Amino acid sequence: MSFSNKYRINLYWAAIIIILSLLPFIVPNLYQMHLINIICINIIMAIGLNIVKGFAGQVTVAHIGLYAMGAYSSAILSINYGFSFWMALPGAVIITVIAGAIVGIPSFRLQGPYLALATLAFSESLRIYISVNTDLGATIGISNIPPPVIFDFTFNDAFLYYYIVIPFTLISIYFSFKILKSKLGRAFKAIREDQLSSSAVGINLRFYKTIAFVISAVYAGLAGSLYAHLDPGFIHPNNFTLQESVLYILMLVIGGIGHIWGCIVGAVFITLIWDLTREYYQYQLIIFGYD
Amino acid sequence: MKILETNNLSKSFGGIKAINNLDFTLNQNEVRGVIGPNGSGKSTFFNLLTGIYKTDEGSRIFLNGENITNLETHLIVERGMARTFQLLRLFSEMTVLDNMMVGYHLHVKYGILSSIFGTRTTRAEEKRIREEMMELLVFIGLIDYAFMDATELSIGQRRLLSLGRAMAMQPKILLLDEPAAGLSPVNVDNLLKIIMSLRKRYSTTLVITEHILKVVMETCKTITVLDYGTKIAEGTPTEVKNDNKVINAYLGEELDDDQVLRELNS
Amino acid sequence: MKLIFKFSLIMTCFTFIFTSYAFSEGKIKIGVSIRMISDIGFKHGKMMEDEIQMINDSGGINGKMIELIFLNDECKSEKGIANAQKLIYQHNVHLLIGSSCSSVTLPMVDVSAKGGVPHITPHSTSSKITKRGSDWIFRVPISSRFYKSVDVAHIVKNVGLDLAYIISADSASLTQAEEIRDEIKRDHGKQPLMFVTVQQGEMDFRSHMLKAKSMNPDALLISAGTVAGAAKALIQSYEVGIPASVKRILGSGASKQEIPTLAGDAVKGVYFTAAFSAADDRPIAKLFTRMIKDKYGVLPDHDFSQAWDLIQIVEHALRKADLKLTDESLASDRTAIRDAIANIQNYQGLASGPISFCADPTPECRDGNKTPVMIEYTKGGKDFVTKVLGTITFKPNHGL
Ligand SMILES: Nc1ncnc2c1ncn2[C@@H]1O[C@H](COP(=O)(O)OP(=O)(O)OP(=O)(O)O)[C@@H](O)[C@H]1O
Ligand SMILES: [Mg+2]
Repeated sequence: MSFSNKYRINLYWAAIIIILSLLPFIVPNLYQMHLINIICINIIMAIGLNIVKGFAGQVTVAHIGLYAMGAYSSAILSINYGFSFWMALPGAVIITVIAGAIVGIPSFRLQGPYLALATLAFSESLRIYISVNTDLGATIGISNIPPPVIFDFTFNDAFLYYYIVIPFTLISIYFSFKILKSKLGRAFKAIREDQLSSSAVGINLRFYKTIAFVISAVYAGLAGSLYAHLDPGFIHPNNFTLQESVLYILMLVIGGIGHIWGCIVGAVFITLIWDLTREYYQYQLIIFGYD
Repeated sequence: MKILETNNLSKSFGGIKAINNLDFTLNQNEVRGVIGPNGSGKSTFFNLLTGIYKTDEGSRIFLNGENITNLETHLIVERGMARTFQLLRLFSEMTVLDNMMVGYHLHVKYGILSSIFGTRTTRAEEKRIREEMMELLVFIGLIDYAFMDATELSIGQRRLLSLGRAMAMQPKILLLDEPAAGLSPVNVDNLLKIIMSLRKRYSTTLVITEHILKVVMETCKTITVLDYGTKIAEGTPTEVKNDNKVINAYLGEELDDDQVLRELNS
Repeated sequence: MKLIFKFSLIMTCFTFIFTSYAFSEGKIKIGVSIRMISDIGFKHGKMMEDEIQMINDSGGINGKMIELIFLNDECKSEKGIANAQKLIYQHNVHLLIGSSCSSVTLPMVDVSAKGGVPHITPHSTSSKITKRGSDWIFRVPISSRFYKSVDVAHIVKNVGLDLAYIISADSASLTQAEEIRDEIKRDHGKQPLMFVTVQQGEMDFRSHMLKAKSMNPDALLISAGTVAGAAKALIQSYEVGIPASVKRILGSGASKQEIPTLAGDAVKGVYFTAAFSAADDRPIAKLFTRMIKDKYGVLPDHDFSQAWDLIQIVEHALRKADLKLTDESLASDRTAIRDAIANIQNYQGLASGPISFCADPTPECRDGNKTPVMIEYTKGGKDFVTKVLGTITFKPNHGL
């Protein structure tokens, strides 16, 4: 890569960051800002899923469960244990990562639809566990999850919260590219292409699959925590069903599985559809096909 | 010096004994041929050596004196044994260069954390690896295709890439499972040349199975002949060629016995 | 280059959502977010739409037309929150109606409070909704704090205190069951024999029923989350051999006509509380029952009646409110509507008792209907019969 080329790319990034940081000043209303925050959270989710599914080729439906894990851990840590957002978020990520490592275990032996079923079992049983467990708010949900605070400044509406969400989104995208372009990303792709060949070049399948699940769990935990503290700070097990899981998979499929920019476009696109179809509820049934 | 040794190596699939009490020794720097009719157990032998199949009770495999029987594949590979596949098994949706770089996996000098967080040194290492792999691609003649996906290559180029990927692993022992299958005679010669110069360059010990007997006859000092999983002969090409058991085994093979006879006598 | 292209693609998507929504000058905008995934959900929505259409057809509110904007929340809080924000900040509605499910209404209360928009809920019963101290929330249905007390009174007087709870883990049922359990524990020092929560949509309750049977309870408190589930649960309670002498107590959802139809004889003797009974023989209730039957092909349950009452209350309030309906007057119009709703006193429509609101942001003021009806099924099947056991009107501060 020549110097001027590199310089140009940095310039693009600078321009993008400036535009993104000025976004709240050009967005006309709070709802649209809310939608942008949701888009950002969905981008984090989608690129996290892309790492395990797009790069490493592991067909998982556990991502939505890990998302719920992140959201609930963060909520419980900040409400029951008085953690601030800045403590609850890493706490939630750690808890989700542990769950992610465990969820990855079936991938050692199972592939394709069988793995999907095993991971689905995790997501669904977690959701059911939450919805019958009154300590976790059951189906009443958890409300009053506190917004982030820096010194005395509270990020309690969508315009302010954006400044919390967007750095995390950009960092997530950045690391996703780094992973893709490293030994790790190559090993993931090799596993996706041919597991036997991968082991024949010395790739430890179990280790790398676990790493893929763990990294995607970091993304899911982060997204979950960001979602939990998003104004008005309410989470409910109904937001983590199979239907949502399918939406995240759609984001990947639309953008082309394995492509980071594709997932981002997919996340934006699907979130916009999600927004529009609540209005034309008749059509939503047609598009997403639910009863 | 002995580098690889098997004792009583056996493998059965249901009733079929694919490998039967095979004792096999390989010396450092040797180029060994393993031949045998279709279904005689050559690929199974490689799969056992590389831990892809689990051996039957009582089998022993030693690599440099270490018992590696039924170790996991990646652990055996880490100890310096690489292989190619009869059916290639390239990483088809990855570029030629990426295939090579995956081959280099074990020698990458940074870890998982640096993959994610690493900065300058990681980048420098990546650059070094890329250059090294590019150089190897020049050597095997695939440099012009470095940024193409493996699926876009011709069959001959894929054979070369599969060889290149294995060489990128810098193995002590390289098992080549029918490296010339499906190649035209010109390409076979080219491939042989590349194999031999790679061997010199990395001082690798080679085991080659091949149906095109010319390949093994020309390159190997010693040839092991398998039939129904049993070693029926071992010796120099001339010895093997004139061994009655070998001739019978090949005669027993209906499909291409004419061709085999011709090749045996060529 | 590629980067630029992709980024501009994303930016186009963004601009796509930035289509600014104009204020609709001179119209009263009402936003509705309810669950419209089921047939019956659609019908509730349709009925509200028809009622508003009738108001508009007869000249509107003091000459002003009402525009109704429907959003579907599928009973998902994530969507309910997004809907409330969209209606408030993008559509600039004057009034927010929603949602069907307590778990969605709950976070919506925070959104409407922050946005300063009057918010009135047609179906949510969880007592937590009005306890959040919002100035803007009004509840047409009966709060679970009233329901539970009627249930407790009935249980103490007529049933006995050894109870087995089989409760669907949906927000409203769970809240109400927990409140019953806690009140019995507090006032009578009695723990439940068993308290199990089941998935919403669960259809097989036999293992729970068997366990309950082994404990010889005085009554089963069942809430299955769905009508089919409730009917199954009733039938299964007889299948496992729990005798008819053990009372079956259901939640307010038992007012839905499918339950006696599906459960047949198993529904006999089932007791429940609701805000309306299709067996109500007041003229207005009979008229309403016929109207719903003719127009929408179902017997109205109390969700229908409450949605209908809600529209009437909104109409009353809008007629009283002094609305300017300009861009600048949005905030003051919203306040005016809130104050007009808060001034509703003794509205008597289909509701089981008079609905009154007042200005304080407290449950006393904002839980409109304080009169649950106690109902018992005396016959099951298609031509089921219900009997009203009585009604109790509670003091506004009851159960706080
Ligand atoms: N995974 C397997 N399951 C069952 N049988 C197998 C398996 N792999 C190999 N075999 C059997 O073992 C025997 C030896 O097969 P192998 O592939 O090792 O022969 P080969 O010498 O490599 O033949 P070819 O020249 O055709 O490549 C054959 O009878 C084959 O059918
Ligand atoms: Mg073979």
